[in-house]
Amino acid sequence: MIIQIAWKNVWRNKTRSLIVILSVAVGVFAGVFAMAAMNSSVVQRIDAAVNEELSHIQVNNREFRSSSDIRDLIQGFNEVDSLMRSLPGVNSTTGRIIIRGIASTSAKSAGVEINGIDVEKEKEMFSLHKKVIPGTGSYFESETKFNSVLIGEKLAKELNIIRYILTPEAVAHLDSLKIPSVVLSKLDPVYGERFTSDKKFNRELEKLLTPNEIKKYSIQIKEAAWSYREGAKLILTFLDKDNNQTGAGFRVCGIFRTNNDMFEGMSVFVPAGELRALTGMEEGTWHRLIARLDNNDLTDELTEPARKAIPSYEVLNWKEIQPDLAMIADFMGQIYGIFMAIILAALAFGIVNTMLMAVLERTKELGMLTAIGMNRKKIFSMIMFESIFLSIVGGFAGMGIAGAVIALTAKNGINLMKYSEGMEAFGYSAHLFPTIDAQFFITTTILIVLTGILSSVYPARKALKLNPIEAIRTE
Amino acid sequence: MKDFQLAWRNIWRNKRRTLITAASIFFAVFFALVMRSFQLGTYDSMYQNVIESYTGYIQIQHQDYIEEPILDNCFVADPEMIKKVESDPNVADVVPRLESYALAASGSRTQGVMVLGVDPEKEEKLSGMKERLVKFKLTDTAIGSLKLSDIPDRTKRLLDLFRNEAYSSTGRMMLDLGISTEDSADVLPVLRRYASFTNEYLSGSVPEGVLIGSGLSAFLKINVGDTLVLMGQGYHATSAAGNFIVAGIIKLPTPDIDKRIVYMPLETARDLYAAHGLATSAVLSMRDINDKAINATANRLRSLVSLPLAVRTWQEINALLLNQMEADNRSGMIMIGILYLVIAFGVFGTVLMMMAERRREFGMLVSIGMQKRKLAKVVTIEMLLMGLLGVISGIIASLPLVIYGHVRPLRFTGEFARMYEDYGMEPIMPTLLPDTYYLWQTVVVMIIISIAIIFSIRKIFRINVINSLKA
Repeated sequence: MIIQIAWKNVWRNKTRSLIVILSVAVGVFAGVFAMAAMNSSVVQRIDAAVNEELSHIQVNNREFRSSSDIRDLIQGFNEVDSLMRSLPGVNSTTGRIIIRGIASTSAKSAGVEINGIDVEKEKEMFSLHKKVIPGTGSYFESETKFNSVLIGEKLAKELNIIRYILTPEAVAHLDSLKIPSVVLSKLDPVYGERFTSDKKFNRELEKLLTPNEIKKYSIQIKEAAWSYREGAKLILTFLDKDNNQTGAGFRVCGIFRTNNDMFEGMSVFVPAGELRALTGMEEGTWHRLIARLDNNDLTDELTEPARKAIPSYEVLNWKEIQPDLAMIADFMGQIYGIFMAIILAALAFGIVNTMLMAVLERTKELGMLTAIGMNRKKIFSMIMFESIFLSIVGGFAGMGIAGAVIALTAKNGINLMKYSEGMEAFGYSAHLFPTIDAQFFITTTILIVLTGILSSVYPARKALKLNPIEAIRTE
Repeated sequence: MKDFQLAWRNIWRNKRRTLITAASIFFAVFFALVMRSFQLGTYDSMYQNVIESYTGYIQIQHQDYIEEPILDNCFVADPEMIKKVESDPNVADVVPRLESYALAASGSRTQGVMVLGVDPEKEEKLSGMKERLVKFKLTDTAIGSLKLSDIPDRTKRLLDLFRNEAYSSTGRMMLDLGISTEDSADVLPVLRRYASFTNEYLSGSVPEGVLIGSGLSAFLKINVGDTLVLMGQGYHATSAAGNFIVAGIIKLPTPDIDKRIVYMPLETARDLYAAHGLATSAVLSMRDINDKAINATANRLRSLVSLPLAVRTWQEINALLLNQMEADNRSGMIMIGILYLVIAFGVFGTVLMMMAERRREFGMLVSIGMQKRKLAKVVTIEMLLMGLLGVISGIIASLPLVIYGHVRPLRFTGEFARMYEDYGMEPIMPTLLPDTYYLWQTVVVMIIISIAIIFSIRKIFRINVINSLKA
């Protein structure tokens, strides 16, 4: 009954109520959407870390992570492997050989971490094979008599395997993209010229084009000019199992692109067999055991049992290997709360103001209701419900719009190109696909109802303080 | 003046409404200022960190060095050119450096390091290297003796948390170990007795003496007096190798650099890399470090030096850091934008209601002969006053927090601190003292208020006296 009256009261002054509802809706929408965008960068980072870089649980020799010594192996790998597999929730496992070395081409060299992998198993466990840039090769699929290596785009750029050339095909492609011929003719002087780095090419473009043209077309031009030295070879040098320097030429079989510059620049992948032949490591010996679980939520739960099952080796989950990432993920929850609370606190001012106005305007009516016997509790709850309705209608509208916009943008994402360099250096993607837990909507709803209740206290107290006799007399 | 009086009385006629409107503006201004202050202060401290401990404000480099920072892209440190640069009014000193990479080894451990050949005296003046020498170290023996001494229990407990930590200042150590200023007179002598660390700065007379970062010293397990082997590639692919003695250990605020840095006298580095008379950069120390002054100096220098040399400002040298901060900055600005959007709605709502409520009053005033123009003026003043009330009180309330946060920055501990250090940042979050960003908040609020004013003025000019009197 009280609830119905409150609901009808809300709609007595439509303009006023709608303004408050609108402001709540806008505030909630903006807050939820901004959180979804922020959240997405963390979710995407965790996704990449688990699916491309680390998997869920890793087992190493206790010395290995600090020494990187080729002799710090997992002894009796098969036994450790079957112990790990016997844990319920472990989906699949694989071993890796990990050796520090130097990758060099005739132009340059760089320090790398060479991962000797079991290609078939890794393909099941990691999604890296989907990240091979089209046209640069494949994930160890092509038959070759050479040793083959998969490297990241960042390393390929550092080693001058990727460069920018405006070939006739590239120009033709740009022409088909409807880039004005004025712009293309301005690029005339650099046709066929080779640029070994992103920056050098950018600098040249800046010389030739106007800032406006760069803004519009530089991404397309760069994509077209991006070229890869086919069949490029690089030399990997490292220490073998007796600490003697060794090395060999490897053919680049593919180049992968992720959003993590550090990973792209440091990690190279080689089939384990080739690495064994070069280092003299025995068949079945590995440095690291990597386990993938049925799902990510099992990670914390399974780490302790794994540690107990394999006491003589170091067992770490991805959260322990990258504690900063785990912490940011936990921290996000708190940020949501704080940020929504600030927005709702700002909204509360509007609600208080409106409700106060509503109470003062209805002095006579409230006095009448008291006079004919409506008790104070009922008046209090009537006002409180009015205020809750204002906030919750606005809140649901805001969340509904936010949900719709998130669903819309999640398809194509929001691309913050301009900041990709800085964000990718930290391993975060600049292409955001907004996403948010359903949990967040529940938390927000609770916060909104709380806001409604809190902002009704002051106006409701005002209403209770009215003296019925005086109130009835007011005009 | 009459109008102002009228407006002043009007806004206090309905105190509650005025206060609520002002409070919502106050709230937005206060939060926005504090948020901005922390955000901008953090960037500022990161830039200062990098600039003062490492890159300097302006460098002269070979033009290709910024893209390919390798030894082969170095230049001849020609005394005449240096003299020319030094003659610039804002340049206090020119400090040449020779920078390259090497593999550092001690025992069975190796680590890739940055080797920095510097002029000991000039570098000391530029970046205050001596300040960074480690003065205390909480070694196991030091902690053992300290636990037996009569220092507060709180400090004893904290000792374990900071085992093997090196300190170059007493201030940081006091913070870490929870020593209050009152206790310091009693506790510091004890710490000095047990945990003091002696080392020396670079000197021209001992060419093989080098300084290493405390992180590097911990990783390689070497100490003052031990031998350090460096191997690498010299100028034009000559081979470079040598034995050096650790003369001192420094603690740099950026842990990433601290873990991989070796300082040595410039001439020693030139010998090691077979790069006689060469430098990879010349860092300029500035008299005036204001942004404008630095850009002006850079422009003047650009006309002084000729190819293949190039003048680089700290923004160019730290482009990646700048890009990262910019991305973060945007997200902060979006948050504040949302906050203001919400507040704007609140203000409009209030104004709308006020206009509706005072319809009759306005109608009455106009009917007894008040010009609409004058009425509009009074209402404008009223709203400006309310806005100013909110802005000024917000600014006043934020000041103590901002100033305190600047003098005693928030310092993270535990996991959070480690995360900061992993990203190469000092784990503190200082605020930025009031600057142009204070002005911007005021401008934004004033824009919101002006829109509300325009709206209400339109309403006033549309008043139909008869209708509004009837209401």
